[in-house]
Amino acid sequence: MVSALEVATLVFVLGTALTAALLRDVLGAIIAFAAYSLGVSILWVFLQAPDVALTEAAVGAGVMTILFLLTIVRTVRPPTDDLLESVGWRGVAAGGALSTLLLVTVPSLPAIGSDSPVTTGEVTAYYLENAYADTHVENAVTAVLAAYRGFDTLGEAVVVFAAGVAVLVVLRQEEFV
Amino acid sequence: MSYEDQIPYVESTIIMTTVRVVAPFVLTLGLFVMFHGAGSAGGGFQGGVVVGSVILMLAFAFGIEAVRDWINPAAVLGVIGLGVGTFVAIGLGSVALGGAFLEYGRYGSLTVVKYSIELVELGIGAIVTGVVVGLFFLIAGGYADAEEEGSA
Repeated sequence: MVSALEVATLVFVLGTALTAALLRDVLGAIIAFAAYSLGVSILWVFLQAPDVALTEAAVGAGVMTILFLLTIVRTVRPPTDDLLESVGWRGVAAGGALSTLLLVTVPSLPAIGSDSPVTTGEVTAYYLENAYADTHVENAVTAVLAAYRGFDTLGEAVVVFAAGVAVLVVLRQEEFV
Repeated sequence: MSYEDQIPYVESTIIMTTVRVVAPFVLTLGLFVMFHGAGSAGGGFQGGVVVGSVILMLAFAFGIEAVRDWINPAAVLGVIGLGVGTFVAIGLGSVALGGAFLEYGRYGSLTVVKYSIELVELGIGAIVTGVVVGLFFLIAGGYADAEEEGSA
């Protein structure tokens, strides 16, 4: 059911996530976080979601890493020489409770390719049958995003635009305004 | 040693050579993902981020100031506006032809429908590229100021 490669990727993702959370050195944590994003993007490929994988790899591993690196230039390294962050029992309890809560919901997700409304529902079937005939776009995901749900996508694009403009206005810089 | 003691930009031959070799391929990949979003995996959001990351790579290798001088920041703003304008124009185009907003079917032939969807993807790509590059230069600009304050 789950191949060795998938298990290895999962272990890698969990390991890098823990490393990013526990490392005291901010630079090391950022690099671990980039590796974590790369691992997650490979997981998306296993789940047959190449569009999401591309986004995760480009944004998570690429752009975010560089923005974080730029940001930490302005921070100061904590004075201690410990390798790992000290974790209090409260943090462990809160993190454990949240993880348990999230893991409890996992069994309710349908298995990949199983007969569930997600894969065989009326709406999904309609998109898969009619997307090419309606739009001549081979990628059904693009047909749904840009055509069937064009309003949503326009909203998303404008949100990105508004966020960008808002940052430009708030951090008013001579180079831009 | 704190990070503040470090020099933000280090001229490294390894990084410069790597970026010089890799950048054209990454730019091509980004444009492919953007233009080919209708035919294969990808689309405006993904392609836009990849194209934007090319600029970030160049700035990382050759110095932020040099790249900022090379790219006109007003052009970055223009690209963002152009992207939104393209998307809205495609939506209003179908209104002009007597349909609803973003009703692609009004464009007549399916080929035109396909290319208007492609144009929408390119518009999204332009927005995302512009915002990524703009954010990067803004954050970088902030720390250039801090540096000046430190030396003054």
